[in-house]
Amino acid sequence: MTGRAVAATNQHYDLDPELFGLFLDPLLKYSSALYESPGDTLAVAQERKLRFVAGRLGIAGGERLLDVGCGWGSLVLFMAREYGCLTTGISPAPRQHEYIAARAAELGISGLVRTEVGHFELASLPERGFDAVTMLGSIVHMPDVDAAFRKARQVLRREGSLYVSESCFRSTAARQAHRQRAGTEFVRDSIFGWGDMRPLSALVAAAENAGFSIAAVDDLTAHYYRTIEDWLAGVRAARPRIEELAPGYAAVLERYLEIANAGWGYTTKHYALTCRNARKGWRA
Amino acid sequence: MTAAGNHNAGDDIVATVTAIAAAELGLPAASLRPDADLRAIEGMDSVKVLRMIARIEQAYDIELDDEVVFGLSSVAGTAGAVRQALGEQP
Repeated sequence: MTGRAVAATNQHYDLDPELFGLFLDPLLKYSSALYESPGDTLAVAQERKLRFVAGRLGIAGGERLLDVGCGWGSLVLFMAREYGCLTTGISPAPRQHEYIAARAAELGISGLVRTEVGHFELASLPERGFDAVTMLGSIVHMPDVDAAFRKARQVLRREGSLYVSESCFRSTAARQAHRQRAGTEFVRDSIFGWGDMRPLSALVAAAENAGFSIAAVDDLTAHYYRTIEDWLAGVRAARPRIEELAPGYAAVLERYLEIANAGWGYTTKHYALTCRNARKGWRA
Repeated sequence: MTAAGNHNAGDDIVATVTAIAAAELGLPAASLRPDADLRAIEGMDSVKVLRMIARIEQAYDIELDDEVVFGLSSVAGTAGAVRQALGEQP
């Protein structure tokens, strides 16, 4: 399983960061933004989203934060720069780490940002060593969702928070009906190599089984739709350069994003789940 | 359910559904008969079906039942479901 997951993340996420810079926002955040008005740009909406995540986690400043599946570091760099958090990012794609280290140095926050190449499930991390853990779109690549939540709770201090956002099948029935569909298989096998979308209920069950309290569930489906529309516009505008960097990839990327955006609300949803490592949740 | 009849609003719905389906398939609207099985048309796939449904729902500000979405049949059948969702008598 792990071998497959490594291949999976390397396949897509280890491409040249310049390629992603052509259609993502300046922070290279590869997950849903949060829009407030029709005029919002992708860049503005991505920053708003990061502040929203900080709010859900109760970040006030200086917390120790672990980002699982840190991508090109949008979250760790932002939390370090804006909130002075001591951040750790973990991801199996090696190229991302050089990029994050270089960005942290440019921003003068190298002391607040460290990253680790590897798999969260197997990583040796300090027990109760973090105040907050985030997983934005990474749990879909983990074969054992129960183990992922258990590990998250293990590394969180008591009264620490976990924020998980994920694309989900709309229901258990939708998962059964669609997991073998051509579109699903294309996204899973041609883009990522491995991924397993679950309904929200499966994530909630795993969180409960790990001993978490559920603090909030947010429906971000419409926001992810709009985020992907913005990415698609970027891909179309940058097609010639994408073709130079990765011949044939613009069409693959466009197809992937179009499939993802066709399904929202019909077969898929995008949810954020906030959990607390505390028996009674947030203090009254 | 057929598109035949003198109900003007119904005819408009058939025309709109036809135009949306044809645009999604990249075909001229005239080539789509109201009774054509949309799923059997070459080039149609589940992603296009959902995009088509989304455009129809957006055009009429409605949400169609899952049975309609996943059991999509013909232009006329889809137009009938739209009519129903709008609360119109067929």
